[in-house]
Amino acid sequence: MEKMLREMRERVMQNIKEARATANLEQIRVAALGKKGELTALLRGMGKLPPEERPKMGQLVNDVRAALETELEKRAAELAEKEKAARLAAETIDVTLPGPERSAGSLHPMNIALRKMVDIFVGMGYEEVVGPEVEYDHYNFELLNVPKNHPARDAQDTFYVEDNIVLRSQTSPVQARIMTTRKPPIRIISPGRVYRADEADATHSPVFHQMEGLVIDENITMGDLKGTLDEFARQMYGEGIQTRFRPSFFPFTEPSAEVDLTCANCKGAGCRMCKGTGWIEVLGAGMVNPRVLEMCGIDSHKYSGFAFGMGVERIALLKYNIPNLRYLYENDLRFLTQYR
Amino acid sequence: MKVPMKWLKEYVDIKLPAEEYASRMVMTGTAVEGVEKTGEQFDKVVVGYVESCVDHPNSDHLHICMVDVGEAEPLQIVCGAPNVHAGMRVAAALDGAHLPGGVKIKKGKMRGEVSMGMLCSGPELDVPAGLYPHIGDEGIIEIFEDVKPGTDVKEVFGLGDDIVDFEILANRPDCLSVWGLARESSAVLQEHFVVPEIAVEEEGKGTFDDYARVEVLDDEACPRYCARVITDVKIGPSPKWMREYLYGAGVRPINNIVDITNFVMLETGHPMHAFDLSKVKEQTIVVRRARPGEHLTTLDGKEHVLDETMLVIADKQNATGLAGIMGGEESEIVSDTASVLFECAAFERANNRVTARKLGVRTEASGRFEKGVCPDTAMEALERACMLVNMLECGKVVPGAFDHYPNPKPPVEIEAEVERIRRRIGVDVPAEDMEDILNRLYIDTTLVDGRLLHCEVPAFRQDMETEADVSEEVLRMYGYDHIPSTLMNGVTMAGRRNPVNAFGDRVKEALVGMGLYEALNYSFISPKWIDALGLDQDDPRRRAVTLRNPLGEDTSVMRTSLVPSMLNTVAGNLNRGNASGALFELSKVFVPAEKAGDLPTEKNALCLSAFGEDVDFYTVKNIVVWLLAKFGVTAQIEAAGDGYYHPGRKAVLTANGVKLATLGEVHPDVAERFDIKGRVYLAEVDLDALMPLEQDFYGVKPLPKFPAVSRDIAVVVDEKIGAGTMMDAIRRAAAKTLEDVKLFDIYRGEKLGKERKSVAYAITLRAPDRTLTDEEINGTMEKVLKALKEFGAELRA
Repeated sequence: MEKMLREMRERVMQNIKEARATANLEQIRVAALGKKGELTALLRGMGKLPPEERPKMGQLVNDVRAALETELEKRAAELAEKEKAARLAAETIDVTLPGPERSAGSLHPMNIALRKMVDIFVGMGYEEVVGPEVEYDHYNFELLNVPKNHPARDAQDTFYVEDNIVLRSQTSPVQARIMTTRKPPIRIISPGRVYRADEADATHSPVFHQMEGLVIDENITMGDLKGTLDEFARQMYGEGIQTRFRPSFFPFTEPSAEVDLTCANCKGAGCRMCKGTGWIEVLGAGMVNPRVLEMCGIDSHKYSGFAFGMGVERIALLKYNIPNLRYLYENDLRFLTQYR
Repeated sequence: MKVPMKWLKEYVDIKLPAEEYASRMVMTGTAVEGVEKTGEQFDKVVVGYVESCVDHPNSDHLHICMVDVGEAEPLQIVCGAPNVHAGMRVAAALDGAHLPGGVKIKKGKMRGEVSMGMLCSGPELDVPAGLYPHIGDEGIIEIFEDVKPGTDVKEVFGLGDDIVDFEILANRPDCLSVWGLARESSAVLQEHFVVPEIAVEEEGKGTFDDYARVEVLDDEACPRYCARVITDVKIGPSPKWMREYLYGAGVRPINNIVDITNFVMLETGHPMHAFDLSKVKEQTIVVRRARPGEHLTTLDGKEHVLDETMLVIADKQNATGLAGIMGGEESEIVSDTASVLFECAAFERANNRVTARKLGVRTEASGRFEKGVCPDTAMEALERACMLVNMLECGKVVPGAFDHYPNPKPPVEIEAEVERIRRRIGVDVPAEDMEDILNRLYIDTTLVDGRLLHCEVPAFRQDMETEADVSEEVLRMYGYDHIPSTLMNGVTMAGRRNPVNAFGDRVKEALVGMGLYEALNYSFISPKWIDALGLDQDDPRRRAVTLRNPLGEDTSVMRTSLVPSMLNTVAGNLNRGNASGALFELSKVFVPAEKAGDLPTEKNALCLSAFGEDVDFYTVKNIVVWLLAKFGVTAQIEAAGDGYYHPGRKAVLTANGVKLATLGEVHPDVAERFDIKGRVYLAEVDLDALMPLEQDFYGVKPLPKFPAVSRDIAVVVDEKIGAGTMMDAIRRAAAKTLEDVKLFDIYRGEKLGKERKSVAYAITLRAPDRTLTDEEINGTMEKVLKALKEFGAELRA
């Protein structure tokens, strides 16, 4: 019997070694160690042995069982490792294959620029306010010191809806609305659509966007205007960008200035974009004309203020190097999908 | 306004080169468009003296000329002009010369004879006859002046000067003149400004009143009217210097009298008019408002019908000219004009502007009157014209003048506080510097106690009225580059976004996250586009805010819907080969007011569209449902919507009875009207309705502690019952313990019968505080089945 045991041990050990899959191992285990397996059969045969030999034999059977189980486990682990490696190898994919197409989506470049502008001024303590796009002449012109039949109206060819109702030609009427309804201190910006009767070309559009700013408080100076716009320029276009003020005329500010920024393209060295000057004209600004303050019911002896207005499209064109303003209103996906 | 540098330099000493001068002017507030030179159209053309001229041996019309061009040896030049002859002075283009039209002159051979250049005609140099009288003649130019051969012909023709193109802003009409600019330049450059002393030599018999009468019947529209009479007029060309200045300023020289009026307008800023006095009926000029319906033919041959607001120049019977805008044909200056009446007047600017606009006539003169011509200096300008008549010896100035100026404007005085100016501009300009700057600008200023500036504003500075104006003058002359960069130290303000715009931005972010691109369209569209939607006749969207003066019909009404622009955007993209895409626009739509004089209502709208192969109804439906979900809104969906959607593929989304969105496939007829082939899907969202529903915090449910159970249910139901509608019913029926319901199968087959479908849902139930019992679960499922049976559904066997 002992011989049979040894012989069986050797055979099963060999089978385990030769097993090629975990499934085979299971068959081997059942055949050798299962309830109806060889070892169980041998164990049953132990009853025929003399009692004094039984413990020794029992010990031997247990040793064989333990040895086989250890070997089975060892082999099972080996095979599982092999099989996992094979499965992983079989699962190799072409990682360079493009995934399913997914549209990135984007804001319009004008709005990307505008969002940034709004964020900069909100960060400086400005409140964003809005006003109607179809507006009374009173707010669009008269309260801003541009009476009827004043030549300053020529600079802004205006669309009329009725005698006294226009499509606002600037965002400045929001200033007038705020000044007539709030008390200083006032610190607002107002972005939005404006309209002028200009045919569309590379630099003009009958519909465009402006952002207006207005600050009214005691002791506001033109230096504060410059400091504010310097800060805006740095945040919008980067360090090293400066402002240059040139005297100009707007009916609602006095003194008035055209404000140039260092050409962001050449950093002021002079290039084609800035026509070699190193400066790009970006916005108009000035100290609020005391007459405008008085018309809006604000004491011009106590308070002073500044205002500025900038064309958002122009800023977007400069920031994103867009060659033609018309691109912005054509909505060609080949253009829009270039933004993120 | 174009001004020749030479002309400016007559009155102010400008030592700087033109470009540098221009930039000084720009930085002190006089904008400059650019600097150019006259005569840039050609170069290397010099005065030549034809020493000999013989016939070309191989030609019946060419000549061989030996021409002295100031070099050691004369040049041989072949010339075909009939008027070439020995002993004449000519304009000789040398080897390498550039002529207008890209012509380059090279030495070469003409029919075997060497030719070292070309003798030029007027048109070949593009020099107008008005500038140099002999230029319009046949053949080559003959130069009669005794100038040395080799001299640049530009000197002879009065070309080669720098022309500065100033852009004068609306507040400085005084700078629309050579004198005004010279005065401004003198203040900027700190150089002397000299105007010629006005002195008119009067001669001839009698006085003004013996020759003419002027009646001004409207002092309001015509605050001042000055006139002089010139007799014994000899019409002829004006002298070279005057022609040169006019040409440089962009004005065509015509004849001495007309040139004088133009010259004085440019020099002083006062538009003038010259009448042929013999053609003025009864030699009487009446300044009055037009009679309603009165007819008038202006100098340009156009006939106008006038109204009673318009100011005219008339004779005793009829209007003959539009005051300050354009004269009439009748009294035009012609070659045999013998006596002239010079008018120099000031017309009220608003009235002038309105008339010019109404009639659609705008001239140099009307442009100036609109911007404001100073009445105080009108007489001075008229006298300047008479001085020029003396100088040009083209007539006799009759003694005496007509001057109607009933209400001279009192001079403006401004008291300005030094400290307040400093506070305003943020620059500590010394008080003495302020005083000096203002005096340099001819604003007569005295500094009182070192703190107060007393300013007497000269009449020509009609823009100066307040202390703020004074502060600008001080700062621009002191230099804007002195403005420091400071930030206000006042009350700290809490910055904040506008809630509506911020909400709009959240909507945009959600859409961008779903892969859509933002579009921008004009706010005005063609009324035809609204028509193309095929709306009912009484649909409110057919009533739009209409522009009075649109750029064209295509942009004449304000949008009542974003849909037409979006369809046009999609069509444009398809036409350009962009076969698929998803776009949105967030913008205003305009609802006209009920009452005239009220502003329209502006509503915030969103329109989105998707098109292309992988897109269907459910693409846009999902976008909208997800968008609403992002704002915490669950909407009910029903099959409904506008007629421009596909009748079987459209839906309306509502929440609590409020309509939030419409979406669907565009009706093929509508798509075709917008030139779209293929299917396009649209959605419209009412942002004003959505915004108040937004919840920025929905509350957190504790994580479940008890197990969930899942039950599937499949029912057979009529085809027209919405699977989503039944899902809503399940939600309501199982509300208490429902965690989730999902649709997992729709099956149609013959066994089910025609127009029947099987719909299967997976229902998950859970209670927060206990494990659900079978009884509870079965009870809930029975309720669910009962609810579904109301749609006629049967449990699928």
